[in-house]
Amino acid sequence: MVDEKKLQDAVKKTVSRDDVKYVVGYEKGTYGFQVTPSFAYDPKDADKFIFSPLCVYNLAVFPMLEEKPPLRKDQEPDTRKIGVVVKGCDARAIVQILQEKGLNREDVVIIGIPCTGVVDPKKLQAQFPENGKNMDIKTGKDNFIITIDEKTHTIAQDKLLDEKCKHCEYPTPILYDILIGDEIKATKKEDYKEIEDLEKKSMKEKWEYWEKQFERCIRCYACRNACPLCYCKECMVDQLSPQWVRRSVNLSENTAWNLLRAFHLAGRCIGCGQCERSCPMDIPLMQLNKKIEKEIKELFDYIAGIDPEEKPLLAMFKPDDPEEFIL
Amino acid sequence: MKDNPYQPWLATIEEIREEVGGARPIKTFKIKFNDKNLQNNFSYIPGQCAMVSLLGEGECFFAISSSPTKKGFIEVSVMKLGKVTSALHECEPGDTIGVRGPYGNHFDVEGWKGKNLVFIGGGIGQAPLRSLINYVVDNRKNYGKLDIIYGARTSKDISYKQEFTELEKRKDVDVHLSIDVTEDGWDKYVGFVPNNLLELKPSPKNTIAITCGPPIMIKFVIQNLEKLGFSEDQIYTTLEMRMKCGIGKCGRCNIGNLYVCKDGPVFSHKQLKNIYGER
Amino acid sequence: MEKYTLPKADLPKFIKEMIGKNRVYAPVENDNVTLFKEINTPSNINLDFINSKIPPKSLLFQQTETLFKFIPGTKGKIDPPDLDDKKTVIFGIRPCDAKSFAILDHAFTGDFNDPYFINHRKNTTLVGMSCTKPGINCFCTSFNDSPAQSKYLDILLTDIGDKYYVEVTNEKGKQLAKDLKKHMQPAKESDTEKKKEIEKKAIKQITRNQKTEGITEKLDKIFENPFWKEVANKCVSCGTCTYLCPTCHCFDIQDESTLTKGARVRVWDTCMNPEYTLHASKFNPRPARTNRVRNRIYHKYNYYPKNFDIIACVGCGRCIDLCPVNIDIIDVVTKAGEVKL
Repeated sequence: MVDEKKLQDAVKKTVSRDDVKYVVGYEKGTYGFQVTPSFAYDPKDADKFIFSPLCVYNLAVFPMLEEKPPLRKDQEPDTRKIGVVVKGCDARAIVQILQEKGLNREDVVIIGIPCTGVVDPKKLQAQFPENGKNMDIKTGKDNFIITIDEKTHTIAQDKLLDEKCKHCEYPTPILYDILIGDEIKATKKEDYKEIEDLEKKSMKEKWEYWEKQFERCIRCYACRNACPLCYCKECMVDQLSPQWVRRSVNLSENTAWNLLRAFHLAGRCIGCGQCERSCPMDIPLMQLNKKIEKEIKELFDYIAGIDPEEKPLLAMFKPDDPEEFIL
Repeated sequence: MKDNPYQPWLATIEEIREEVGGARPIKTFKIKFNDKNLQNNFSYIPGQCAMVSLLGEGECFFAISSSPTKKGFIEVSVMKLGKVTSALHECEPGDTIGVRGPYGNHFDVEGWKGKNLVFIGGGIGQAPLRSLINYVVDNRKNYGKLDIIYGARTSKDISYKQEFTELEKRKDVDVHLSIDVTEDGWDKYVGFVPNNLLELKPSPKNTIAITCGPPIMIKFVIQNLEKLGFSEDQIYTTLEMRMKCGIGKCGRCNIGNLYVCKDGPVFSHKQLKNIYGER
Repeated sequence: MEKYTLPKADLPKFIKEMIGKNRVYAPVENDNVTLFKEINTPSNINLDFINSKIPPKSLLFQQTETLFKFIPGTKGKIDPPDLDDKKTVIFGIRPCDAKSFAILDHAFTGDFNDPYFINHRKNTTLVGMSCTKPGINCFCTSFNDSPAQSKYLDILLTDIGDKYYVEVTNEKGKQLAKDLKKHMQPAKESDTEKKKEIEKKAIKQITRNQKTEGITEKLDKIFENPFWKEVANKCVSCGTCTYLCPTCHCFDIQDESTLTKGARVRVWDTCMNPEYTLHASKFNPRPARTNRVRNRIYHKYNYYPKNFDIIACVGCGRCIDLCPVNIDIIDVVTKAGEVKL
């Protein structure tokens, strides 16, 4: 378990620094099992910071959402750092952004949390559909211990664990300034079982499957906006001339959008699952991301977001790169 | 067709005049509706706007820059900036476009009868003022003293040059042109529009000031008008926002609870002071 | 008001009757997602739902709607639009979503009538289904509404055990009920009592409450308050809250064409997207998330009440359920009311 007191102290210390603008972490949400991003501008704000298996959100998106309004003549740019509380997977997002120079190392203070796995809110909601009250959840040995109205429920980890956690190879943040608690050794391995099952489908079946998914996309772009790696100044889907994807919401344009999104994350997606969790229409976006991740691993032996010094996959070339895919 | 406010009438571009060249060129399009009846019955008041479209490219909201006193056509002046305006700049006389309107409120040409008018314009902001100026000049006896203050970055950026020259010749209109930086052969004012206004010191007595231009210019013009003693209900401006429907439905042009397309684009400074909202 | 009861076993017949003469939309479940879809047989309906993920506003104000078709280019032509005149029934719509249509009526009428919305609205009969099990974020009661109110419906069904209690509220409802009467019996006093009881029970199940009293006036005073930055800090600017809102009505208009044919379409748009207000000159009056989140709340709780004397929220809770970062409009509005001046 993560010592919340330690976390809060670390946040207080960080936010007290003159060169830190704020620290983003987690606090209890407004209802049920909700946990919500929390912003500490002041040491006392850190008192509401928590860490529990409900802290599934990847907060690495917030430094990327910072607006940079045009400066007046006499204004200096605000170069203060942003503190971010990260789990192992979230830290990979920051590493990847650093690789791409979307952020500089000195822009962020990374408060790392070794993580044993978080729950999938959708699975939890399915277990307690009528619960609107705040609940408490702790990680047990092989289970999660959930307390609602002083009543305790024990549910096997497997039933609630977020998919990304089932195969997590990086439970401890790769990069951090402060680590809360002890390092956790990786014991799991990515097996791409779900992807292999999808690969077995025929072309026709694949199209049928994905058409059913993309059909209900409402193009709210929650997948894009919640993703720490989708930080282009102007997304190609918003461009008007040329217009790559039409605004009409129909199967053809939705398919274009969903595939383009996945491809633009090729070699960049670190598998946090934020896109899929944010999707209000429950489109299994991670299957697309994972498929591309698998291909890249097989083709180039490359894993995104594990070495800030490495060059991004699509920005490098090796003479022995396979090129069977070039027609 | 009247039942469907989204459906434009087809119209033909009669003439295209290049007002300004350079990186942000401005052209004025003289437009005639294809339906003769409609052309004869299309009535508008200075300050009102129209949605102009090129089929396949999209629609844009423009101030009608011609005066209703000149019958048989309407004109819009367009700066080349985005997708639709760029496509319009490629058009040639004889081309078909779509027009719907007129939209929005208008200058109080009736209520201002008997008053002195000061027009303060900058850049493309002159377009709605041009409609009003021509209207007032064509009904000259109804209005008091007329001052036209207009500025552009350089002499090349002055739009409606020909018309300014005509106006300058008139004894019953005072035209005060300016450019931002010194230029060979320019013997008029050099400096920003708000400063020119301050030096010209128009009297606020029985006077209405109407301004349109870049947001930053409007801001300082209003400040300086107040310095000169103009009260908030003597100052009018006409605003611009990104627009799609032109009829107060699509949402994006709101300032507080008002829609610029429907409740504007003409606002008194008094009104603007009392509504909050981004602009 | 006419009151009937319908035996539950006869519901399929009742629906079949409607399908015969109307296009019927009803809640259908697919991959755990319930949406209003056109049905050809009663067996597709899923009535065991809290509410549809996408509000039924999408049936009257479609996410993508062709305004008219044209031949593109500088020698173009316009095909006058064909307005769809088909008689339509939305079956199973919740009372909150039905109210949203009454709210949208203001936006789509007025100085200019929107022929597309008005036409769909005119041809659509709302046959509602009371909420007997409201969701955890339902708060229609905050607006003095009830999950079983018939006010905004043409016909309302309420599950009262072995039968439905059927209220026919107006002329439109009566027209449709003409063919349905043969399946129903006049309601007895005891049925009416039963409905009231069930309504009370449903109201009791709504635990969340938004303090809306005096909110419009309060918002007038706190536009510049740092509170809005606090609220917007965690917003990621996606369109979930607005697209899934039954009262949000903003749209974009775009020309979509090939070389030889084209259409002017309107598509839902969202004030959460910075591109929404971006001028061609690149100036943006609402450049920051604070501007945009504030605009959403003000539009519903200040601008709309000022213009039309009604709050543009029905308390359906969709924006709360599906916001990826738990921006909770109950919480935001209640806290706005508590901001110290």
